[in-house]
Amino acid sequence: MTSARGRVTDGLALLLVLTVGVVLLGPILLLALFSFNDSSVIALPFEGFTLEWYREALADPEAIKALVNSVVLAAIVAPICVVLGTATAWAITRFRFRSRAVWSGLVAIPLIVPWLVIGIAGLLFFATLQIELTLETVGVMHIMTTFPLVTALVAARLVRFERSQEEAALDLGASQFQMMTKVVLPQLAPALAASAIFAFAWSFNNFEISFFTGGYDQTFPVWVYGVLRNSNNLPLVNAMSTLISVVQILVVYFLWWGIRRVSRRRGTADELSTMVTSGVR
Amino acid sequence: METTSVKAPTQLTDSALVNEASGSRRSVARWLPAAYLTVPMLILLVLFVLPMVLLALISVGKGINGAESMWSIGAYTSLLSDPLYLTIAKTTIIIATSAMVIQLIIGVPLAYVMAFKAGRFEIPMLLGLVILDELNPIVRIYAWRMLLGRNGIINGALESLGIIDQPIDALLFNKFAVILVLSTGWITYTIIPIYAAMKAIDPRLFQAAQDLGAGWWTITRRILIPLAAPGIFVAVLLVYIPLFTDFAAPSLVGGTSGYMLGQAVNDLILGQGDLARGAALSFMLLLATGVVAVVAYRLARINRLET
Repeated sequence: MTSARGRVTDGLALLLVLTVGVVLLGPILLLALFSFNDSSVIALPFEGFTLEWYREALADPEAIKALVNSVVLAAIVAPICVVLGTATAWAITRFRFRSRAVWSGLVAIPLIVPWLVIGIAGLLFFATLQIELTLETVGVMHIMTTFPLVTALVAARLVRFERSQEEAALDLGASQFQMMTKVVLPQLAPALAASAIFAFAWSFNNFEISFFTGGYDQTFPVWVYGVLRNSNNLPLVNAMSTLISVVQILVVYFLWWGIRRVSRRRGTADELSTMVTSGVR
Repeated sequence: METTSVKAPTQLTDSALVNEASGSRRSVARWLPAAYLTVPMLILLVLFVLPMVLLALISVGKGINGAESMWSIGAYTSLLSDPLYLTIAKTTIIIATSAMVIQLIIGVPLAYVMAFKAGRFEIPMLLGLVILDELNPIVRIYAWRMLLGRNGIINGALESLGIIDQPIDALLFNKFAVILVLSTGWITYTIIPIYAAMKAIDPRLFQAAQDLGAGWWTITRRILIPLAAPGIFVAVLLVYIPLFTDFAAPSLVGGTSGYMLGQAVNDLILGQGDLARGAALSFMLLLATGVVAVVAYRLARINRLET
């Protein structure tokens, strides 16, 4: 009785996982598949294998410009966010001062305010000050929205530390700087690596804010949006998206692999699950 | 993600005591927080608080360099009395709520499977969800459009199999398409908090309940759901707001019947240049999301205290 029911639930569980897997991954895999299809129409039947769309995508000046814009932007935004976010997390978890509650509240709010509203407010703000909308305005807005994410991830990590190590270091005569570099940063390393990748992804994938505060400077998501608004589906977009998705998958995978290796060497059970869930818990 | 403000206070006391105990360190501690916080908080004040204040001012008619500048709630009253915007608001609520419910119906069992049944597939599934979320959202919307369109892959496949002879138009550019795209787009953020809450449940509770004769429905209703409730409310807090204000998905797959408030804001400001009404609508969206956030946050906290 129990085993029969157990088999039924296992079967149902498998069915659920497979169905969700197909629905979530299927479209992306088909998108990649059709980037190799030798036809300008994205439809069955499959006409044959070609790399033509990749050649065309890499020769398209607008596509390349948008991609370069996005990569440069995220590469600048991510490290700045890690520094600002970690400094904020440190201050609000390790010190008690009168305005602490105000600042820790303020830094949490941008995480809940919709990006649409932030984008619109930014647009009106820059327009009022008559600042021209360029990649720089997008960049500062990305920094503003993304460093609170780093703060949340790093603070979640900091509150679980043994504080005594830091105090021991100070009592034994270490300077604030030595305590930071020798005691705190090594322990924070996995959280910092994770937040760097998340910050990069937030900036790279952000659509709303880039759309409203970018003016004529397009990032990659804004370019894709523009192409899709103005024309039909294009194999060129498939090729570009496939390239980028492959890079994104590899980056996340290697980050995960690296963090696991470091954690194993240190003998701590710091699996992906704790890393990911610490951010939302 | 609001852990900062939730967890920090209890953790502070010992260090504060140490800081106060030793005089020299106390003076250091005075200016250190300021050293860490000045730049980040200036960024938030200038690029977040100021624009929000400006948005509020514009919504009540006080544009800074606009021609007319007088206090007026005209933008709000004209939006609220316009049946068009009420219809759009209704569509938005229907779409966002359906997408949220669908995600919970899928997410709760899936989180359960991941937390208790998946075994060695647990971490790969989690990694898969994270990777999925790192993929570009616009690209993921595009992938669905490619599948569902009039000349899309699904219609093409059905036609060549002889199941239909006319392409089905009902697949794309409607509410259904937006709900599908949104539910698949945010599923990572729905599953992970629920999964995290379920990971904290002692599996022996299920065994004990089973030994005492409880069926799977009783176990789900009396043990699993109550203990996972904080995670469920966090998921709602994280996901419902972006669903409610989404702008890319409805404008790429929504057509006219899937027109949402996010698009209305965009069209008011960039399309018609009606800054006051656009700002007013943004503010009302913000207010609505604020209500959702407060309710979900309260429920998550209350449930955590009770368990």
